[in-house]
Amino acid sequence: MTNLLLKNIEKRFGKTEVIRGVDLVIEHGEFVVFVGPSGCGKSTLLRMISGLEDISGGELYIGNRLMNEIQAAKRGVAMVFQSYALYPHLSVRDNMGFGLKVRKVSEEERIRRVAAAAATLKLEALLDRFPRELSGGQRQRVAIGRAIVGNPAVFLFDEPLSNLDAELRVHMRSEIAALHKRLSTTMIYVTHDQIEAMTLADKIVVLRDGRIEQVGSPRELYENPANQFVAQFIGSPRMNILPAANAAMLAPNSTTPVTAKSVGIRPEHIAIVSSSESALRGKVALCEYTGAVTLMHVQLPNEQTCLVVHDKNEVPPPGSELGLIAEPANLHFFDQKGQAA
Amino acid sequence: MAAVTHTNEPGANRAPWLTLKYREMLEAWLFISPTFIGFLVFFLGPLVAIFYYSMTEWNLLSQQAAFVGLHNFNDALLVNPDFWHVVRNSVIFAVGLVPFNMALALTLALALSRPFFGVVFFRTVFFAPVVTSAIAWAIVWKFLLQGEGGVINQMLALVGIDGPNWLRDPNWAMAAVIVTRVIKMVGLNMILYIAALQAIPRDYEEAARLEGASRWQIFRMIIWPLLAPTTLIIMVLTTIGSFKVFDHIYQMTGGGPENGTLVLAFYIYQQGFKFFNVGYASALAIIMFVIVMALTLVQVMLRRKEME
Ligand SMILES: Nc1ncnc2c1ncn2[C@@H]1O[C@H](COP(=O)(O)OP(=O)(O)OP(=O)(O)O)[C@@H](O)[C@H]1O
Ligand SMILES: [Mg+2]
Repeated sequence: MTNLLLKNIEKRFGKTEVIRGVDLVIEHGEFVVFVGPSGCGKSTLLRMISGLEDISGGELYIGNRLMNEIQAAKRGVAMVFQSYALYPHLSVRDNMGFGLKVRKVSEEERIRRVAAAAATLKLEALLDRFPRELSGGQRQRVAIGRAIVGNPAVFLFDEPLSNLDAELRVHMRSEIAALHKRLSTTMIYVTHDQIEAMTLADKIVVLRDGRIEQVGSPRELYENPANQFVAQFIGSPRMNILPAANAAMLAPNSTTPVTAKSVGIRPEHIAIVSSSESALRGKVALCEYTGAVTLMHVQLPNEQTCLVVHDKNEVPPPGSELGLIAEPANLHFFDQKGQAA
Repeated sequence: MAAVTHTNEPGANRAPWLTLKYREMLEAWLFISPTFIGFLVFFLGPLVAIFYYSMTEWNLLSQQAAFVGLHNFNDALLVNPDFWHVVRNSVIFAVGLVPFNMALALTLALALSRPFFGVVFFRTVFFAPVVTSAIAWAIVWKFLLQGEGGVINQMLALVGIDGPNWLRDPNWAMAAVIVTRVIKMVGLNMILYIAALQAIPRDYEEAARLEGASRWQIFRMIIWPLLAPTTLIIMVLTTIGSFKVFDHIYQMTGGGPENGTLVLAFYIYQQGFKFFNVGYASALAIIMFVIVMALTLVQVMLRRKEME
C-alpha cells in the first residue's frame, strides 16, 4: 500500500533551485533513508514533506490525500530534529505530552499515552527531569518519544544521531531499527552517514544537487549502482574508478563494454598477488592498519592511487611492488557520462 | 640516562613573595584602578555623603549645616503631606508606564524580530526616540499636545472630538506624560526583546507547529516562558527608570497641573535645587533608593516563585 507519493516535487528559495523535480513512491511501513552530500537538499525535502517548508512545484500525497495545501499539523507526520528541539522549560513528561495538550486531548488519555511511549523507550525514570538534566542519548530518546506519542502515520528524522558520539550512535541506530520493527510505521530518515543508511534502510534514496540519483535497497545500490556518483557514495572506503583499459588487466576473463570509459572496483573486492601474477601492478604507498583489516594505498603506473582492503595478516611493506586482481562480477563499468554501461 | 640540568629561569631571583599569583593580582588591580578610582570618587563618595547630608539641616544658601538626626525622614514620612502625594504620583506613573511599555515593546519585537523587507527601517523608527535628547523630545510633544492648535487636537477635531489641553488638564496630564514617555523609551525594551526572541532556536517553534500548536499556543506555552528572564530584567529596569523620570516631567509639565505630575525624582530636584533644602532632599533620595530597591527585590522574588 502506498503511503507517500512525491510527484515532480520542486523547491525554490527565491531564484535558487534547491529541489529539481523529485519523484518517489514510499510504501506503507517502509524505512526510507535520504542520503547525499551536504547541501544536496535532504533536509529541504524532508521539511517539505512535514509541511514546515512549502512546496514550490509538484504534488505530495500522504495516504492518497494531496498535501500541498494542508498545514503541517494536519499531515499526520512527526519529526525528530537534529537538535532534538526539546522545550527547555518543560519536563520530559510535559515535552512528550505537549502535542496532546495543545490538541486538547483529555488528561487521562494524555497520561496514558505518555506512559506508554515512555515504557516503549525506557524513559519512565526520567519523566520528571528537564532536558538540561539529560544526556545526549536520553534527549534523543525523549525526542523520539515525543514523536511516538502523537501516533503519526509517518516519522521524519533529520540527522537525529549526528550530535552523539560514535558509540552511542551505533547503539541508538539499533534502537531506531528496533522501534521501526515494533511500530511498523513509515519512517523517513535523513543522514549523510552511509553506514547509517545501509544498516537502517529498506530503501535508500541517493540525492545529489536536488535530484534523485538512484533509489533502491542497500544491496541494490551496493551491487548495481546506476552511476559513478552512487557507486562512489555508497560503500566505504569509496570505490576506485580506473580507466576502462585496466579492467582486462584486473580480471582477464572480463569483457569490457564498448561504451565503457572507466571501470569501478571496490577496495574490498581487490586481492593482492605477487607482481608476476597480474597484469595490473602497483607500488604500496601507504598502509593504514585498522585492526581487522589494513587499508592499502597502491600507486598504479598511471600515478593513480588505488585503495585496497587487505584482510590478511602479513602486509606488504610500503614501497614493495605487487599485483592486483579482481573477480569479473565485481567490476562496474561507466560510460562517458558516468552512467552504468 | 642523561642528567637533567636546571637552567636559571628569568624569575628565579625575584623576591620570594612575588609569586605568579600575586603578580597577576597586582596587574589586575592596576588595570581596573582607573575605573575603580572613578567609582570611589564619583559614585561611592556621593552615596556616603548623601547619607550624612540626609541627617543634617543644611541650607545651600546660608552655607550652614546642623546635624538633626532622623528629623528629615520624620518630616517626609510623617509630617509633610506633599511626600505621600508625590509617592502616589510616582506609583501611578510607574503602574501606567511599565505594563504599557512592556506590552508595546513585546508586540513590536514579535513583529520585528524576523527579517522582512524594511524591517531595519521599522526597528530604527522605533529605536530612534531612545537616543534623541529627552528635552528635544519633550519640547516637540509639548507643541503637539497644545490645547488650541496642537497637532493632536487638530487631528481629533477632524473626527469630531474636542481634545482637552492635554498637559494642563489635571485629568489628562499624567496620561499624556506617560504615553509620550512610553513612545520615547519603548524602543529600548523592544531591542532587548528582539535579541531574546532571536536567541530562541526556530526548532522549538517548528516542533510545536508540527504538533498542532496554534500561533497563540506557541507564544503562550513556548515563547513567553522562554522570555521570562528577559521579561524580568526589562520589568526591573523599566520600573527603576520610571521612578527616576525627571527631565521629561521637568520639560513637559514642570510637575503641574496642581502638582498632578509631581513625581518623586522631580520633587527631590525641587527641594534640593529650588528651595535649597539639601538635607531634606538627601533624605528623600535615600527613601527613593529604598523604594526602588524593595520593588526590585519583590519582582525578582515573584519571578523566581513563578518559575518554580
Ligand atoms: N531558507 C533557505 N533559503 C535559501 N536557501 C536555502 C534555505 N534553506 C536551504 N537552502 C539551500 O538549499 C540547499 C539544500 O539545503 P538542505 O538544508 O536541504 O541541505 P542538506 O542536504 O540537508 O544538507 P546537510 O547535509 O548539510 O544538512 C542548500 O544549498 C542550502 O543553501
Ligand atoms: Mg540537513
